[in-house]
Amino acid sequence: MLGYVGRRLLHLFPVLLAVTLLTFLIASLLPGDLAVAILGDQATPEKVAALRGQMGLDQPVAWRYLHWLGDVIHGELGRSFRTGETVLATIGARLPVSLELMIMAELAGLLIGVPLGILCAVRQGGSLDRLLTGSAFGMLSVPAFLWAILLIYLFAVELHLLPATGWVPFEEDALGNLKSFVLPALTLALGEWPVLMRVLRSDMIATLQEDYIAMAKAKGLRPARILLVHALKPSSLTLVTVSGINIGRLIGGAIIVETIFALPGIGRLLVGAIYTRDFIILQGVVLFVAVGFVLLNFAVDMLYAVLDPRIRHGRA
Amino acid sequence: MQIAMFPRAFLRAVLAACLIAIMAGTATAQKRGGSITVGLELDIPGLDPIKVGVYDTAAEMAAALLFDTLTTLDDSGKAVPKLAESWTHSDDYKTWTYKLRPGVKFHDGTPFNAQAVAFNIMRQKDPNNHCRCAFYIQGTEKVEAVDDLTVVFHLRDPAVDHPALIAPPAVNNPIHSPTAMQKLGDDYNLNPVGTGPFVLKSWLAGDRLVLERNPDYWNKGHPYLDRVVLRPLPDAQARFASLQAGESDLVWDDEFDADNIMRARKDSALTVHSYTGSGAAVYAFNTKVAPFEDARVRQALVMALDRPRWSQVVTNGLAKPATNPYGEGSWVKCKDDGALPYDPAKARQLIQEYGKPVAFKMLVTATPRGRANGQVLQQFWKQVGADMEIEQVDQTSIVTRAFARSFQLTPWRIIDLADPDVQMFANFHTGSPVALANYSNPELDKLLEHARTTADKELRTEDYCAISRLINKEAIWFWTFQNTYYAISKSRLKGLPKMYSGIIDVSDTWLE
Repeated sequence: MLGYVGRRLLHLFPVLLAVTLLTFLIASLLPGDLAVAILGDQATPEKVAALRGQMGLDQPVAWRYLHWLGDVIHGELGRSFRTGETVLATIGARLPVSLELMIMAELAGLLIGVPLGILCAVRQGGSLDRLLTGSAFGMLSVPAFLWAILLIYLFAVELHLLPATGWVPFEEDALGNLKSFVLPALTLALGEWPVLMRVLRSDMIATLQEDYIAMAKAKGLRPARILLVHALKPSSLTLVTVSGINIGRLIGGAIIVETIFALPGIGRLLVGAIYTRDFIILQGVVLFVAVGFVLLNFAVDMLYAVLDPRIRHGRA
Repeated sequence: MQIAMFPRAFLRAVLAACLIAIMAGTATAQKRGGSITVGLELDIPGLDPIKVGVYDTAAEMAAALLFDTLTTLDDSGKAVPKLAESWTHSDDYKTWTYKLRPGVKFHDGTPFNAQAVAFNIMRQKDPNNHCRCAFYIQGTEKVEAVDDLTVVFHLRDPAVDHPALIAPPAVNNPIHSPTAMQKLGDDYNLNPVGTGPFVLKSWLAGDRLVLERNPDYWNKGHPYLDRVVLRPLPDAQARFASLQAGESDLVWDDEFDADNIMRARKDSALTVHSYTGSGAAVYAFNTKVAPFEDARVRQALVMALDRPRWSQVVTNGLAKPATNPYGEGSWVKCKDDGALPYDPAKARQLIQEYGKPVAFKMLVTATPRGRANGQVLQQFWKQVGADMEIEQVDQTSIVTRAFARSFQLTPWRIIDLADPDVQMFANFHTGSPVALANYSNPELDKLLEHARTTADKELRTEDYCAISRLINKEAIWFWTFQNTYYAISKSRLKGLPKMYSGIIDVSDTWLE
């Protein structure tokens, strides 16, 4: 097991290095100039040149990258020139919102997707299976912003059950906080469960044809026990992968949902940084999301090893 | 029934009391108390001028609540006292002396005085602070405190209407507490301290700004509200839904959200506020490059514009056509602004007279709105035989390209300011960095110089109308739509003033 972890960790370093390089290159290839963003677009060229020199922007890209990488390794991501806050503090303030949204959305997706996936696998080819796989396909084709507007219209404007927009800090009003996440999490979950359901369904169908399932049936175990204890775990490898990738995507990918529901999360921070040309924040957030994604994938790999002994013993 | 047991006289007394209460209510319409939530389009990145550089309308709205400016504009657009009680000027309008209101304190308890005003402006101008806000006050050479309550502005150029120019709570004008700025340093940006009617209670960046009534406000009896919450709600549909669901009391809006504005107009629980200011969305031809060195081509392109149809296509008819650079909100009213008529036949004829093919590139901001406008223009011009190619560029690149004159035709904007001089002089006087048309005309220069040094508004109006006629005839720039601002509120929110410069100022509103 330790050998496996070690090998994965070794793989991690070049990936992370590539992530920093790409992040830096993307940020420096963007149209616009940090000095112009600070001084305003009507500043004289002399002033811009002076500030560029002062900030080292006139140095070659390679030099700037190494300089920046040194800072990043020391945990120094810089400060927003607009708010004066450090990048880490800004991300730290927004992260809990995105994490809560991500967890609630993923839980909701699993809560809908897993039972339905099992159900479809058991009733494979039946009318319920066909109905659910069909509607799952339909659900997948509806973009999140449309779900968001429909849900707001129904639950906030017409029924007055849930808030249309906004976010309440947990320490201020715990129930209000949860309520403010219901619609955004549901919006994301509606695009999530069909995927989860379908991958679980197909893996489960394969598992149910294994000999040991037939054996369990022959032993007279209850169907529920067979499904949940013996069949679910070996069928959930793809499910875990997909969930992991989805969570990674949600770290920074909930941009549209955070914007529509006005949740002050990482996605909104990213959009705001783009609009205000806050390059330092932009670069910091992209790096943070990319590293988060890499680390999550690492965690998923570790989870494989737990789920499937063949992997941790290197025989897969 | 219980009620039958009351004597009739008692009921009558109750009725009378109710009537008195209702009448008293109408006599003193403004009601104290209550809290409102406002939905804005944008996050407010902070309020320290040297950090944020420029305030957008969301920041200006917060500034109107937290800070005061020296002057403010009344309903007719005239500058009236706020932190300054009176003012005088030198004969050449280059030196303005303001007498300040005594006894005003910042929210941190420190006194407001002339030194504070001078400190604010000079801090923005300090080259070490690299503030883009310095650009907007480059014409202000120095601000000095003569004594505690007298502050003098030394200007580079004459400004006959200086008190009106410093009225809006744009980035340069609100007065911040110098003590707080020095003490808090980087942290001041999100912990602003002013003299305004509301005090900062809490600020969760990206989420909400909570402001509470300033009990020590110098203007006794004001403000009426106890609390104002500002929230960025970036999505237009969700913003409107939050108003319908009762979570917001007022939301920012614009003409590109025409459907919701129309819907709100039909809803008696909602009120649509709109204000058409001065200025307009405009385009500038580079008259030094082909084909625009020929006035006939420029005139033809302007005569091909069907503005009402354009407005219908892009904003469902909400955008108001502009035929001069001043707009409904300006005090400049022209009987004849010299606008060229919509006349596609004449336009085609002018292009035929020009004799060569008319093909050119126009800069367009790489946004959905920019593209939509570009495509409409492309169609108009195609119909009169001109071939325009859209060149999509980033917003800041437009400015850079415009300054370098590396364009044939570029979009621009004349913003809503209390006096036309600043922008008209900059946009059209020979040699100015933003005289984008590269056009020089001694007559135009003379009119601009005369208008900026004349105090009499009637004479100035004559100048500006002559300027408009000249520019329209030469067609070096053209104007498309006026600057119109929108807000939608619950109908029980009262007392919203005109939205000068697009700023929604809720500082003196009340709930009915």
